[in-house]
Amino acid sequence: MDAEIYLDNNSFIHRLDPRTKIIIFLLTFVAILLFQDPLWMIPVAILVLIQLFVSGAHKNMRRIRYVLFVLTISSFVLWNLFSKGETPIFWRISVESLRYAIARTALMLLMISTGMILISSTRNEELVNGMIKLGMPYRVGFAISTALRLVPTIAASTQTISQAQRSRGLDLDSGNIKERISKFLPLLVPVFISSIRSTNIFGMALESKGFGAREKRTYYLKLEMRKVDYIILAFSILFVIVSVVLAIMGYGKIEGLTRF
Amino acid sequence: MTEPIVSMKDVQYRYRGQKEYALDGVNLDLAKSEFLVLMGPSEAGKSTLAATINGLIPHFHKGKLKGDIIVLGQDTKQKTVAQMSEIVGMVFQDFEAQLFSTNVELEVAFGPENFAVEREEIKKRIDENLNYVGLDAFRKRPPSTLSGGQKQKLAIASVLALKPTVLVMDEPTTDLDPISKMGVFEITHRLCKRDDLTLLIVEHETEEALFADRVALLKDGKLVKVGPTRDILSDVDLMESLGVMPLGIPKFFKGIGLTELPLTPDEGVKTFHDQNLKISPLAYEALVNQEKTALAKLNKPLIACRNLEHTYPSGVKALNDVSMTIYEGDMVAIIGQNGSGKTTLAKHFNGLLMPTAGEVDVNGLPTKDQGVFKLGQKVGYVFQNPDHQIFSETIFDEVSFGPRLRKLPEDQIKGRVEEALEAVGLAGMEKEDPFTLTKSGRQRVAVAAVLATKPEVLILDEPTTGLDYKEQKSMMDMVRQLNENGSTIIFVTHHMWVVAEYAKRAIVMKDGKIILEGTTREVFSQGEALRAAFLRPPHFVEFSARVGYTFLTPEEMVNSLEGVQR
Repeated sequence: MDAEIYLDNNSFIHRLDPRTKIIIFLLTFVAILLFQDPLWMIPVAILVLIQLFVSGAHKNMRRIRYVLFVLTISSFVLWNLFSKGETPIFWRISVESLRYAIARTALMLLMISTGMILISSTRNEELVNGMIKLGMPYRVGFAISTALRLVPTIAASTQTISQAQRSRGLDLDSGNIKERISKFLPLLVPVFISSIRSTNIFGMALESKGFGAREKRTYYLKLEMRKVDYIILAFSILFVIVSVVLAIMGYGKIEGLTRF
Repeated sequence: MTEPIVSMKDVQYRYRGQKEYALDGVNLDLAKSEFLVLMGPSEAGKSTLAATINGLIPHFHKGKLKGDIIVLGQDTKQKTVAQMSEIVGMVFQDFEAQLFSTNVELEVAFGPENFAVEREEIKKRIDENLNYVGLDAFRKRPPSTLSGGQKQKLAIASVLALKPTVLVMDEPTTDLDPISKMGVFEITHRLCKRDDLTLLIVEHETEEALFADRVALLKDGKLVKVGPTRDILSDVDLMESLGVMPLGIPKFFKGIGLTELPLTPDEGVKTFHDQNLKISPLAYEALVNQEKTALAKLNKPLIACRNLEHTYPSGVKALNDVSMTIYEGDMVAIIGQNGSGKTTLAKHFNGLLMPTAGEVDVNGLPTKDQGVFKLGQKVGYVFQNPDHQIFSETIFDEVSFGPRLRKLPEDQIKGRVEEALEAVGLAGMEKEDPFTLTKSGRQRVAVAAVLATKPEVLILDEPTTGLDYKEQKSMMDMVRQLNENGSTIIFVTHHMWVVAEYAKRAIVMKDGKIILEGTTREVFSQGEALRAAFLRPPHFVEFSARVGYTFLTPEEMVNSLEGVQR
């Protein structure tokens, strides 16, 4: 069972320097937070979508489609309820709140997408390496990458464990919410225990290979900023600067919107 | 004599929070380029001893350490594990958890990187070591896509890249299938010839110890006997009493009263002829016929596969045109290398997986119409790792989980639990915490938990993996008892001797197909076909084949000797 997040398909985005990708990731966050109006988010959205398909990360988005679906629905409903506008449509929903809810939902989906693009197209080691080159301490970078690495491991063992419990007669698909939650206990305990156990061995293996033996360490992976990296960075920075200026000038707001 | 590379003096160690000493007065020296195999029953302290050499004890596992461990003149107490790692390489049993990079090259690079080795030199070491273990072609692959054997080879390469003087391997092959084992063994055979490397391997597989210079037997934290390999392995009785698997060949010759015992098949065949021993064809025929009549009595089909195919969503075809029948009262072993489709096949029997083509019938009804919940009452499935299913605080809760889900009345549940615990030899332990038991104890709880739902068929996925010889034996004796009491047993295993001693029939799988099927004796007589499926019968079976017959146990062979009347 393949539970890996990184997709080994060597796309254009895969070949970019991890530093470029990390900076774009951060810039995208800035850009999508600037505007309230969904129309003004369209340019960023298009750029993110292009990256999503070029890198192949949309396949990973498909893997979490149920989660995305639930998030989309709940976000849409909640933001409608938590904001108010002047042009009512029906009940508590107004044109303004509707627009705002669309924007907030898009914001969430774009944030997830851009994160997914980063981890789908960047090897763990590259990510750590890039973060360190950008000034993060090695141990912190390593901790982040370890956390990411645990996700597929835990997913794989969860699957085995749920099979084991299902063959003992556990039926996860029926009952009310309270019953269902209590049914997950037979899954959670073994998942925790096996994760803790493998983390322990992981720690031993890490030390046995000299983790932290010297102050300084070398890197086999060589990061290289190529011309494309600079071009893309320049474009992204320009894009964000323009967005910021427009936002400061007052564009992209929804008139008559009150938030709670 | 020159200075030893590793020197352990009066080593005593107690894990924090434990009363008993895990190591209790161990004195052991390893000479330069020596190859020592450490054997012993579960909980003997083998892994603990291994972990003292690179300083995991006392630095990683806190506890009370007395005595001295000196490696190349360095006191392990004064050094961190990371500092020691340049001298002592360590390979663990769990090949999943010890690899953490996203591609093979980077895995090997990790160690040297930590010691700030120059990039060019790292590249050299990657090339050298991947070549050494034969993973050259996999350089860019993520380790998660490798087979178990390849993962373990990668672990070895990644440790060798640090150029250690001592290499410690803690049961490196326990979780591997026979062919992957051989691949790893082949590397250790080359490693032990290197004169710049001292090897210490903790091993369950006695046949593998044959290559060692010395063997050490450990029990209850004490070294029982250390000596040249031949001396130790000839001491069949001592090994048996310690719960370490003795070799079949010396056991056979000891059974007929020899004192100079041959160890390998070659030696065995030679001694057999030198001693002018002969097998009685009549006795052999009687043995074979007896088996045939017993099997002919099993004629009620319970599980039947017809042209079964299974293709995973990823597109991998794991089963291809499998047709077979399992009869009531059978005890069948499914064998084959990892990825040959054994577990996939077994998971069809209780409906965890459904055929993508063809059909599986249980009790005459297609599994598709029954579903896993209903099938679970007839077909119990014990997973390989008991820790994947145990979650309760008491054994009673754990074992009663199945019957409760099936909404049985409380008084019946109590009876079921009692019966099930009785069957697995854990009677009266209802109140205990399952997590305090040893691996074999937890395995028994897992079996009991399945037995409590009273299935007609019991599927066991690698029931003996991770257990020592004594535990394997008692586990399988218990399974055989269940079979004799009427349960149909299907087990998937890598342990060929378990198949030889316990299975009535064997099914050999390769690339999703059944390539061989028959009584265990018939199957083991097909040496060539087995090798094609990357399996290898135990040395003893091989030896008996070379003198013209297929015997599964030394006892059988002794009883069939010409001139022996029993």
